[in-house]
Amino acid sequence: MIQLEAIDLSKSFGTRRIFENVSFSTGIGESLAITGPNGSGKSTMIHILTGLGRASSGTVQYSGDRGKLAFEQYHDRMSVVTPYHELYDALTAFENIVFYTRMSGREVSREDMDEAVKSVGLTGRGNDAVGSYSSGMKQRLKYALARLRQPEILLLDEPTAYLDASGKELILEYLKSLKNSALMVIATNEREEADFADRVCQLGG
Amino acid sequence: MLKLLIFPAMALVIVMAFVLPSPMNPQISLGPVDAYRIFYFHVPAAWVAALSFVVGMFQSISYLRTKDADYDRKALAANRLGIVFATIFAKMTWGEFWNWSEIREVSLFILLLIYGGYFALRSALNDDDVRASFSAVMTIIFTVSALFLIFVLPRIYPAFSQHPSDTIVDNQGKMSLSPMVAIVFGLSMVTYTALYFWLYDITIRVDRYIYKLKSER
Amino acid sequence: MPTVSVSWAGKITTVFRKEMLSEFRTRYAFNAIIMFSLVTLTVVSFSLGINRPGPEVMAALFWIILFFAAASGLAQVFVKEEESHTAGFLRLYAPATAVLIGKIIFNLFLLICMTVLLVPLYIILLDTIPQNFILFTIGLLLGIIGLAGSTTIIAAIVSRASIKGALFAVLSFPVLLPLLVAAIEITLVSFTGGDFAAAGSALQLLLAYDVVMLTLSIMLFDFVWQL
Repeated sequence: MIQLEAIDLSKSFGTRRIFENVSFSTGIGESLAITGPNGSGKSTMIHILTGLGRASSGTVQYSGDRGKLAFEQYHDRMSVVTPYHELYDALTAFENIVFYTRMSGREVSREDMDEAVKSVGLTGRGNDAVGSYSSGMKQRLKYALARLRQPEILLLDEPTAYLDASGKELILEYLKSLKNSALMVIATNEREEADFADRVCQLGG
Repeated sequence: MLKLLIFPAMALVIVMAFVLPSPMNPQISLGPVDAYRIFYFHVPAAWVAALSFVVGMFQSISYLRTKDADYDRKALAANRLGIVFATIFAKMTWGEFWNWSEIREVSLFILLLIYGGYFALRSALNDDDVRASFSAVMTIIFTVSALFLIFVLPRIYPAFSQHPSDTIVDNQGKMSLSPMVAIVFGLSMVTYTALYFWLYDITIRVDRYIYKLKSER
Repeated sequence: MPTVSVSWAGKITTVFRKEMLSEFRTRYAFNAIIMFSLVTLTVVSFSLGINRPGPEVMAALFWIILFFAAASGLAQVFVKEEESHTAGFLRLYAPATAVLIGKIIFNLFLLICMTVLLVPLYIILLDTIPQNFILFTIGLLLGIIGLAGSTTIIAAIVSRASIKGALFAVLSFPVLLPLLVAAIEITLVSFTGGDFAAAGSALQLLLAYDVVMLTLSIMLFDFVWQL
């Protein structure tokens, strides 16, 4: 069972302090919402939690049954959905999916891809270039990809960004279904999403 | 306090450089006799510039291993001093010793290119961590490349395959320094090195202090 | 459920194929490199006119054209990722070394395309035929392997910086100098019809350079990528 523990995190960019002394812990089956006004560092926090960003001070630690986990060990069990990272516009949805699942070390079958694409409401668009997608569709595709990775850790930055009403519904359904089997951290401004989580960490006061 | 010895030592070197007969060996070199006195000053400058390069490499490796920002400061200090001394060396030699090997000019030019590239890279990166890591990586790549160059350059200038110092090296490639010249030269080398490390130390401490001031604000 | 596992070679191939697919559809780097080498070649040919300088100059010119064409298009492979914001998922989901090697191979492919175009044109326009064609080809091959192997990581470094284009050339030049010197010598020997023995030490140097720089790139890449 994967646990996440953040102790005394602070982040500054040069001399500009974003947040300081933030601590929390969460695990599988628990979900944490990170809230705060614009500029309070929610996205930065998610970036730090992925393991790619570094906090100015404090520690972030993922641990499993057998002790601490390093990035190389947990990143294949982690999915991230954020408006800041894009998929490849020149490739089709299927090509993107195949690429990323192979890079995680797995071959994905056509049926699984069809299923994933269907589950986010993109049926029939699998062979279209992602560049032709709207932002809402791109966001849905990111979820399709996230889902295929069967993540134990799910980090979400503005989970329903760009989504229309039906998209939002779909995604919230998906998140509900994962609630008990994954460690979820959601950075959001939206009330609805924050309420969805078990616990809240407020940044920026 | 021993550092203060640098001043009288350097003064001594300067005086002796002019008092002693010029170290030029008239059988080998051409050019104005007195100009060769610069030998006491520019060889140590080159030595220090090269030393700096090596120091920078080790600090860069240490930074990548530990991610301790202090090593980045040290690498930066080494590169700054390196470019300063390399420039001093450049100023002293270009135009002075037209018969000295092009190999020295080329090496110097490349060294300056490398330092220039290093600072260009640093100024183009804003994130502290990224800047420190990338500079360290680049320094290591440069150093390995420079090592290859040391083997490569003698090939394109085959007439100067040894480190040429035609004032003190005779036709058989043996060094022939009169004892006084050797002593003063040695003293100059030591003094330059001491001066280098003193400047290095000060630069790092100033950087640390500035960083502390900034983060307390 | 996905169960079949993908090997290291498989991952590298996946990256390579993704680059090929992407490049085939957009042709950014390819166009840049081809255009640049053609333009440079034309300028050189035009300015030389009927003068035919000696083989030393011709050999050097050849590699200068190659270097600048490389500088114009090889950084693309990482710069495009940063600029289109696709680097994020790549860092999160893909293993660093596979990404690097896949992209190095792609850059190598670009360089091969370029040389296939450049060499015949060079021979025709500049009236220079390598007497020892095998030596010429081997020197060329080792040279472009070194080019790709040592500059791809620099492309990764430059992709996060602000003045990318010029910076890539500035940083690559000192790094590539040993390669250029050795490659020019081999090319020179091949132009004048020398045998392998004559170019022996340059060949050794170039081979050593290729191996060392490639290894160094792989070792250092993690520090560049995972940030």
